[in-house]
Amino acid sequence: MDKQEQQKLADLLKQSLEPADSGLKRDLWPQMLRRLDERASPQSWFFAMVSPPVLAAVPWFDWALLAVLVLGICAFPRSIPVWLYHF
Amino acid sequence: MNSHPYLRAYMAGITVPSIMLLVVLTGFVMARYTFQMPIPIERAIIFPMALVPNLFGLWNMFYLWLKPRPHLPIGFHGAILPFILAPSGFLIATCSGLLAATSSGLVWFHEIVVPYGFLAAGFSLALIAYYLVWKYLVGFFNEVLGIA
Repeated sequence: MDKQEQQKLADLLKQSLEPADSGLKRDLWPQMLRRLDERASPQSWFFAMVSPPVLAAVPWFDWALLAVLVLGICAFPRSIPVWLYHF
Repeated sequence: MNSHPYLRAYMAGITVPSIMLLVVLTGFVMARYTFQMPIPIERAIIFPMALVPNLFGLWNMFYLWLKPRPHLPIGFHGAILPFILAPSGFLIATCSGLLAATSSGLVWFHEIVVPYGFLAAGFSLALIAYYLVWKYLVGFFNEVLGIA
């Protein structure tokens, strides 16, 4: 294969392949930001902690314990400073 | 890369008592200046400020250390802590003049008389409080910091 044939073959290959995009058609950064936002938690940690699904998963026994605790503190409000000291 | 799990466990442990410290201080200030209780705040704050958060952090590190071994659920693990905190609290309070044992009961802050019969009930409530706090709050922060 001489030089002329090589050149011809190269031209045919170039014609058969579509030219590659040398630049981006659009800005990809907004799409990247959108993906990062989707991956991040939609709620703050506090609202995630007290969200309805989380509260619904608390067993009734723990609610009963919480009620006992609140009633106990309400029954003896003067004990609150002692509680505060020990927490 | 070392991800420092014990440091994260300590940080997750101290978060709750550190937030509670604001409540504690507010409560002491209100008791002192609104309800005229003779609480020496500067002495009373030592235990909840210095010892309790550090013990929470260390106890959570201990929980992390126990995780590959047979261990209790985190709520029960936390409910053991009052067995350490209560005696140390009583000791420090007695040494700093905040607590006195009399024939009628324990006198806190020269004002609040806790009859001996109520001590068991109070301690049971403390166990409940610690169980709930550790199960839901410390457990949550452990999840946030990736050590649950």
